[in-house]
Amino acid sequence: MNARSHMLPARFSLLMGGVVLSLSVASAAESDADAGAGLAAARATAMKTHKEQITPFITTYCDRCHGEKKKKGGVTFEYAVKHPGASSFRPLWRQAVANIKTHDMPPEKEAKQPSEQERQVFLDWVAGMKHLSPKDPGPFVIRRLNKIEYGNTLHDLFGVDPRIVTELPDEVLGAGYLNSLSPLLMEQYLMVANEVLSRILAPAGAPPTAVQKQMFGAAPTVGQDVKAAAREVAKSLARRAYRRPASEAELDVLLRVFALATDAGKKYHEALRLMLKAILVSPQFLFITPAGDVDAKRDIVPLGDHQLASRLSYLLWATMPDAELSALADAGKLHEPEILAQQARRLLSDPRSRALFDGFGAQWLGLDKLATKTFDAAKFPQLTPALRTAMYEEARLLFDSIVRENRSLMTFIDCDYSFLDGTLAAIYGLQETVTGTAMRRVQFTDANRGGILTMPGILAMSSFPNRTSPVNRGVWVLEQVLGEHVPPPPADVPTLEKQDQKKVASMTLRQRTELHRNDPTCASCHKVLDPIGFGLENFDAIGRWREHDESGGAIDAAGELPGAQRFTSPKELKRIIAGRTADLCSNLTGRLLAYALCRQLEGYDEIVVDQLADAVAKDGYRMQTLVIAVVTSYPFTHRRLTDQPGIPHAK
Amino acid sequence: MRNDWLIDRRTCLRGIGAALALPLLDSMGWAEEPAGAASKPPVRLGFMYMPHGVIMERFWPSDPATFLTAPPPQILESLRPVLGQCLVVKGISGVPIAPLNGAPHALELSTWLTATLPDTDKRSRVNIAISADQIAANYVGALTALPSLELATMPQTHKENQEGLHEAYYSHCSYRSPTQPVPAEINPRSVFKRLFQSREQNQGAGKSGAVAAADPLDRSMLDVVLGGARELRARLGNGDQHKLDEYLDSVRSLERRIFAIEHRQADAAKAAAGGGPKRSVTDTARIEVAIPEGDKRSEYMKVMCDLTVLAFQSDLTRVSTYIGSTPNGVSYPELGFTDEHHSQTHHNNEIVKVDKVARINAFNVAQFAYMIKKMAALKEGDGTLLDNCIMMWGSGLENGNKHTRVNLPFVIAGKGGGTLKTGRYIPDAKGNQGDLLQTLLGCAGIPLDRPIGIATKTLTEMTSG
Repeated sequence: MNARSHMLPARFSLLMGGVVLSLSVASAAESDADAGAGLAAARATAMKTHKEQITPFITTYCDRCHGEKKKKGGVTFEYAVKHPGASSFRPLWRQAVANIKTHDMPPEKEAKQPSEQERQVFLDWVAGMKHLSPKDPGPFVIRRLNKIEYGNTLHDLFGVDPRIVTELPDEVLGAGYLNSLSPLLMEQYLMVANEVLSRILAPAGAPPTAVQKQMFGAAPTVGQDVKAAAREVAKSLARRAYRRPASEAELDVLLRVFALATDAGKKYHEALRLMLKAILVSPQFLFITPAGDVDAKRDIVPLGDHQLASRLSYLLWATMPDAELSALADAGKLHEPEILAQQARRLLSDPRSRALFDGFGAQWLGLDKLATKTFDAAKFPQLTPALRTAMYEEARLLFDSIVRENRSLMTFIDCDYSFLDGTLAAIYGLQETVTGTAMRRVQFTDANRGGILTMPGILAMSSFPNRTSPVNRGVWVLEQVLGEHVPPPPADVPTLEKQDQKKVASMTLRQRTELHRNDPTCASCHKVLDPIGFGLENFDAIGRWREHDESGGAIDAAGELPGAQRFTSPKELKRIIAGRTADLCSNLTGRLLAYALCRQLEGYDEIVVDQLADAVAKDGYRMQTLVIAVVTSYPFTHRRLTDQPGIPHAK
Repeated sequence: MRNDWLIDRRTCLRGIGAALALPLLDSMGWAEEPAGAASKPPVRLGFMYMPHGVIMERFWPSDPATFLTAPPPQILESLRPVLGQCLVVKGISGVPIAPLNGAPHALELSTWLTATLPDTDKRSRVNIAISADQIAANYVGALTALPSLELATMPQTHKENQEGLHEAYYSHCSYRSPTQPVPAEINPRSVFKRLFQSREQNQGAGKSGAVAAADPLDRSMLDVVLGGARELRARLGNGDQHKLDEYLDSVRSLERRIFAIEHRQADAAKAAAGGGPKRSVTDTARIEVAIPEGDKRSEYMKVMCDLTVLAFQSDLTRVSTYIGSTPNGVSYPELGFTDEHHSQTHHNNEIVKVDKVARINAFNVAQFAYMIKKMAALKEGDGTLLDNCIMMWGSGLENGNKHTRVNLPFVIAGKGGGTLKTGRYIPDAKGNQGDLLQTLLGCAGIPLDRPIGIATKTLTEMTSG
């Protein structure tokens, strides 16, 4: 494992690199107190190393060009070295690790060069740097509902078709979610609100619709207190739409809107209509907002139960909390870990939890772009919309089965079943046995099939429009499955040797791809990437099995990965990858946590990922355990109120 | 004296700064153009983007002296009939991207109109600078039904984060504030509806929930909601407050927009009754826009260009930004090959790839040329619509093969109401991206209270006068 992670500096290879430190955490993690002690010890060690070895290292080898005076290439350690745990300098340290590892820095011409041992100390220290981060759940800034959540919420509230939001711009979900609002979007929210009202409410003068009667009740008769009645309606509408009880002040606002309409001569139901519209364009509806006031004296607070209910429900269902979640929030019980875990289990077992695949799973596997990816239509005429849908559904159903049956994460790699319909069966060569349009569970006898590594939709996504790309497939496995980070090729890739075109024409793709591994610049990464891709060359660009590639040459799927792990076929490659359970677990934990928090992970989050992955491992790497670990985690259940976390000072 | 009327507005803007939103207009309501302004058509500002740079030797003209007479370089060929209205500027450098050297594609688009590098200490969040188009929209936006138009060909959902930079940098070029990217519209039908809902409201557009068909009480309702939001803001933490400010700003814009539409309708009614000012500046019939059914990129891009022309022609907005293509996974099957744009730009001088990139470049310029020619054919005042426009086409990289940013490719079309000297190739502008944006905004009469990004000067060699 370390051979690989040294080769490929990475987000999570940093975690893997910190072997000594994380092991001490793992063994101490029996109880919270022990875990705290382990963390404190790791922190003390990292601080000591920083003072005694890292600061002198920077002063001796880096400062001349990247210090207070000179900031060559815009790079300076001036501040970073004073604030070693601050997450804002993490990219700088990561870059430094890459340069120190590859001996790109200090430059060759510099007389003073660190020894190999000094370099290693530096690398290890950066790997353990997360231990310098103060305990911090990160911010949970009021979050706007994304397009999908907004549509589903309107559906749950009013029974309208969630596609009512079709015209809104698509958004990146999860870690890259742009929690932003623009005038255009606000205009669209008003348009959608109008559209919703015209669908569910009767026009002025017409008898009320059933939904209307249910929401608004009967108009008060003469002598009844109209405002009191309207206030009751406001209270019940706002409770659902705001996903928490509205404060008296918030009800006052809605009543002002009601009065606005009655003052203009509107009848009771018409005035309530305007009030409902006001609800639908209010920040309390469009955003997940906390109930009650914040305690300005505190830096970190637990999420309120209503906020937690929303966070959980939008994560697993992409819609508003249902009656049971809401009742638990009202009772102030949801934050209790047992209840929270039990609710997570309940939500996962509901069909609405397909949202977790559509939002998280599809993004993780790269299938969210399958419907629109360009393929060479002449070469792959079978890649119809129906086939693309079946490919997506296959992955979704596998994901769903692993969640629902609470299987081990390894099932993603080494399972012997999948879900096919007649269209997709043709890609598998199983068109004789599987026919029709319904997706059904199919047991494989061929061990080369089964799992995400060999799934047609995924293989298609990492291919070029007209052929496979062993390099892309290798990168995909390393990054998406094992959580390593593969640096992009340098912009100025040295030109490959001019090859005899006739000779090249008769070579297989593998033989041609291997040519660039003669170049040392390319070889350092490609000797890891390419074998994985070659091991999958038996699958063409849309996932069909083949013995020969387009040159007519026989596929050679044999290869070797660092650590003398040899394989000769996709099934053997799968077995090797499946052996890296801990890496897959770390990777998925980190990804799901980032998705759940709607932000990139940094600083203290890395410690959290270690702890969660550890807990998941202890429970047989089971999928529900992973989800529950994330939703009961410290950063999911807490939030920081200030913009910046406290920065610890090196002594 | 052109644009003198802007002085009045500048006076009222003093102390606020053009780079800020105009809260003042809340109380002013609809901004009135001063008397006499209608006699001079307004200057419109348009931007159109293509990623990954160009094949340099097929883009730059060979000689300034023969710019109008020699056959244009391959990539500029489609502009041949309108070269006299164009200004090709070489020597504009991009923002130096160190220490974010590993993020050339996240930065090519996001620095294009900001001329600013994102905050490297907060790179996982969006923190850059207001973009030139939004500075312009803040200034002239209050005069039209839409402050600005933001269009794109691809959804802005790319998920790569180079150098730990937020994903949004990859697909957004307009920023309303340093932390607020402006999403672009990609559905021509929605754009059309949004532009013309105020006009077509009598034809049952209300059913689709158009803003203009909204309740006459909407604006007052929004006012009350805004008041409630301010109360909510007061009891939130400061991170939440900043987020809610985006909401407050957006609702205020929406109120303004509704007011603008109502105002237009009132004007139109007055005009129909034979009195009152005529706000429309065009002398020609509205161009036809046919929305294509298929997924042919050229047709799609043309309709977006048509919509821009239409919006400018009808004075529905004076600022437009069109991200014609984005730096990821885009291919051009109608050119006869399915290779992705980016993969071909790392061509290492392989002629097959170089040819493909040049054809993609020419294709993008051709869509721009289509828009320019259309503008040149529309009469306005004593000249054409194009005469009163400043249309900038360009890329945030010079050479996609090596990610260089020394001579960014730019074509400027239109005379900017007589402020730009066109029909020329300037081979040695010696300026940067900020200088260029600053110069163009100056030509459009937008006063600036601070330089745009890295700008240090105005490029007087571009302007007349």
